[in-house]
Amino acid sequence: MQNTKKKCVNEAILIKFVLVGFEFWKQLCIEHGISPEGILEEFASAGSDRKDVFFYQADDDHYIPRAVLLDLEPRVIHTIMNSPYAKLYNPENVYLSKHGGGAGNNWASGYAQGEKLNEEVFDIINREADGSDNLEGFVLCHSIAGGTGSGMGSYILEHLSDRFPKKLVQTYSVFPNLDEISDVVVQPYNSLLTLKRLTESADCVMVLDNTALNRIASDRLHIQNPSFAQINTLVSTIMSASTATLRYPSYMNNDLISLVAPLIPTPRLHFLMTGYTPLSADHELNTAPKIRKTTVLDVMQRLLQPKNMMVSLSPDRVNQHCYISILNIIQGEVDPSQVHKSLQRIRERKLASFIPWGPASIQVALSRRSPYVQSSHKVSGLLLANHTNISSLFDRCLQQFDKLRKREAFLEVFRKEPMFKESLEEFDESRSVVDDLVQEYRAAATPDYVHWNPESSHI
Amino acid sequence: MMQDALIILWNSSDSLENSEYIYNDSGDSEIFKRITNIAKSHRKIKTFIEICGFQFRKSYATKHNKASGLYVQALSEGMTEVLQTYLKTLLEVESLILGNQNYTLAFIYSYVEPFKDLFDTLNKIIISIKERDLVGCQILSLIHQYILNGNKMIHEAIVRIFSYVNKVFINQLCTWLLYGELKDCYQEFFIFRNQRDESYDTLQSLPSNNDKSLVTTLQDATLDCGYNLNPNMIPYYMPLSLAQEILFIGKTVILFSLDPKKSKRSHTFTTRSILPLDKCGSDIRRFTIWEEKEAEFHNKLQKLKDPEVFEVVNLRGVIREIKECVTKHLWIVAVEEAQLLHELHLMKDFYLLGRGELFLELLRLTSHMLDKPTTRTSTRDMNHAFQLAARAVFLSNNADIEKFSFELPYVKPNVSINSTFDDSTTVADGWTTLILKYDFKWPLHLLFTPEVLARYNDMFRLLLSIKKTQHDLQSLWKTYKQSTSFSMCQLHNKLMFLMDNLQHYMQADVLETNFSRLVDAMGKTKDFEKLKKAHATFLADILSQSFLTDNTSGNADNSTDTTDSINNPVFCNIMELIKLCHSFCSMGDLVTDKESEDYYITGYSERFNKLVKQLMQLLVSLRDRPCGVHLARLLMRLDYNRWLSGEAQLTQSVTSMLRY
Repeated sequence: MQNTKKKCVNEAILIKFVLVGFEFWKQLCIEHGISPEGILEEFASAGSDRKDVFFYQADDDHYIPRAVLLDLEPRVIHTIMNSPYAKLYNPENVYLSKHGGGAGNNWASGYAQGEKLNEEVFDIINREADGSDNLEGFVLCHSIAGGTGSGMGSYILEHLSDRFPKKLVQTYSVFPNLDEISDVVVQPYNSLLTLKRLTESADCVMVLDNTALNRIASDRLHIQNPSFAQINTLVSTIMSASTATLRYPSYMNNDLISLVAPLIPTPRLHFLMTGYTPLSADHELNTAPKIRKTTVLDVMQRLLQPKNMMVSLSPDRVNQHCYISILNIIQGEVDPSQVHKSLQRIRERKLASFIPWGPASIQVALSRRSPYVQSSHKVSGLLLANHTNISSLFDRCLQQFDKLRKREAFLEVFRKEPMFKESLEEFDESRSVVDDLVQEYRAAATPDYVHWNPESSHI
Repeated sequence: MMQDALIILWNSSDSLENSEYIYNDSGDSEIFKRITNIAKSHRKIKTFIEICGFQFRKSYATKHNKASGLYVQALSEGMTEVLQTYLKTLLEVESLILGNQNYTLAFIYSYVEPFKDLFDTLNKIIISIKERDLVGCQILSLIHQYILNGNKMIHEAIVRIFSYVNKVFINQLCTWLLYGELKDCYQEFFIFRNQRDESYDTLQSLPSNNDKSLVTTLQDATLDCGYNLNPNMIPYYMPLSLAQEILFIGKTVILFSLDPKKSKRSHTFTTRSILPLDKCGSDIRRFTIWEEKEAEFHNKLQKLKDPEVFEVVNLRGVIREIKECVTKHLWIVAVEEAQLLHELHLMKDFYLLGRGELFLELLRLTSHMLDKPTTRTSTRDMNHAFQLAARAVFLSNNADIEKFSFELPYVKPNVSINSTFDDSTTVADGWTTLILKYDFKWPLHLLFTPEVLARYNDMFRLLLSIKKTQHDLQSLWKTYKQSTSFSMCQLHNKLMFLMDNLQHYMQADVLETNFSRLVDAMGKTKDFEKLKKAHATFLADILSQSFLTDNTSGNADNSTDTTDSINNPVFCNIMELIKLCHSFCSMGDLVTDKESEDYYITGYSERFNKLVKQLMQLLVSLRDRPCGVHLARLLMRLDYNRWLSGEAQLTQSVTSMLRY
């Protein structure tokens, strides 16, 4: 899998990524009125948006994304370099492994190469970090199924928090589609090993579930066989909406921490789900634009429906799952007085159940929308939620892992790497970390969570 | 005898009471007496006319003579005219008598008798003027009272007199309304110019009167250029509201004449120093406000000179028309030329922290400075930091940023020299004294009066301190994330939750909601007065919804220090919670071992629970007040999952109230 890494400043970021990163920057350029060459379009020159968060200006005033792109094989980076956006990136920040062979969808190989290339990669990151006046954190975009994004991503994740202990590390992690049979057979191994790092080293993980993304594309957007680009458009929509309050002048949530901190009350429960409404695909816009009524209440209610969630949760009949926290970012022409009414309505109708062990509420941030992007909807909304049932996703990962592990299948490729040469302890350790996480999420749905500690669940 | 009678009637100056004629007929003597009386009253009137008349004044011009004045003069002229008919009658009688010696005294009497009542009435007027020292508009008012009379002759005479006096009035009114000039050297008009401007300075910064609502206070105190109503002078038939409208129009006209763009001299209007009228050449004041309507209004006003037309209803009609024209012009100047909407957005962006990222950056740069007592250089440092922050968020090129500046009033601590390091002296820190200043465009000082800006600053300081607290708590997040103590995490969460929701309540429920209402209201009207009212309502609403006003007792605050002077219980409670957050944030420096950490956490948790419980209980006591409604909104957010109310173990009555 290809791997791009990006970074952003002031209040932001370093990202690493799978093709989605490319779409994300494309989206940002459109929203800020920046041409593929990084030049500010005429019509956007008077904008009050904050381009500096994710871009910086070169000496000749053209905008350069604060991004680092990393990959171990050349295919995707070459695609980018042949696209109109080739000149956008700082060529020094595009890192391609010289050996160019990729990681062979093997987590261990990706991790080992990360270790080998450690110096070079962190040189780029350090340089980019030094260039930012006010670096707040890093954003890492990757997939957890393949080899590069998961393996090398894990390595960078572990070392980012070592090198920049005070900076926030946020990830956008793409979880594999579990409905389909993956072409990556060792995907359950890769996922589990990455999950351990996400649990321990990241401050906040935005879970993007390919299963749900495909489902939304086919159910909501009526695309039969969603292409890679279409799925990535979905993802970049979410990424751009979730950074909207950082990129436009607004009352609150002006920095990364203020987005993340209210959502994550306890250290380990930092996996966030997202939801977005209304969604419309390009082809729909062109043929029959069906204008739905979008009011704040409509949007907020729809955001709470599982079908708009970008994570597929399996129903859990044993545990009463609930929200730990919710943040809605509403964009568009909003009548602010509706916010209170909507909150009241949702509360009265008990449309969302919350944790019984602490205060929780739906926070609503109003944000502007890019004036350069046409939308047929008056109001759109993004939901960032911390929900205990996200454990079901990890549970599925565990089950798949167990299936493979029981058969001791495909372990040879891992044994080839130094990390697993001696023993497979790393697998067991990761499994217990993820299992703990699942247990903790389940406990968080009960009032007894106050007395919960990881050791007790083991016994 | 007949000649005597005629002489008496004619002669108004010499005293003629001397001769006591003996009449053969007692009836004749009675008639003669009556004739003498008429002559006497006529003489009194003549004397009055002479004293007040133009000729007299010319020779004995003494400025402070009470009897002088345009109105009295007009009155005497009017009376002279009325007396003309009397003199004509006398002439007629005289010629008749000269022609025929046989006429009796009664014949003469029959001619002059009708004037008796008229003279009586006129004398009554004269006596009232003298006794009650009436001047100017009061005379107008008095005469108007006599217009309604059953006697046709008197009625017509008074109307004629009234029309004389009214001319003076209308002329004064006309120059005032159309040019904002007060041609009133005897102070007879019901609008007067206050000489002592300083007295208004104190008046403006005084706390609002108890009986006045906040909205009125915020609306008032604008447009003060030294002119005021003299309530004693307002004619009785003119309602106070109408008089105020007239005052307003004139003031506005003056205001336009002071437009810095049109005036050659550059005045600084932000300091609210209005130059005395005479300093501005009158040519500046002939401006374009009326456009082609000037003649129209002038004619309409001149028509009112005709006593038949002069009715209060008509006067009001004309005034309304003029006022509409003035306010429309004001609206155009304020909204279109001064871009009021843009300025209001700026107010929101800066005073109400709409540019969150800018203030976040500013807080990073200055919070250490604001924590300490103000020093002499603080203002400069603050403004420097503001520039830096603006540059950091790429706002420095923006022209709007230069309109804002900070001031940190330096109060010299009144302690002796050797105790300079003594912390016990209560020197206010920057958080409570910080002032954001705004250099707005002319003529927006009508809207953003010092009182209004002071209120905006109250809001600003509250919002800034919430933002700061929130920021402090968030910066601890990463630290507590690694902490193993669940109770620590939980307390941190609770405090953060509280601040976040307070912030969301303030910004979404209070500011955004009211601001969108204001913008709506602005779009609907083209009348500056309504616009001003909408703005005052907006400000009053956000203040009361942020619990910055005290509606439990009437005493509104005036001091810049919000924490001390406001005794709104909800506000006090919120301030206590903010203080608690501050102590929590600084706990890291105090705590060394696990034991003391636990001690502090328990203490803070208890305090938190107590304060939150108090806040909920306040809802019961404030239930009937508007403040209670807003508190309910805030609590709805805080208690969204009914956890806080459950934790607080409230009594049944409170719990039932919490259904919001």
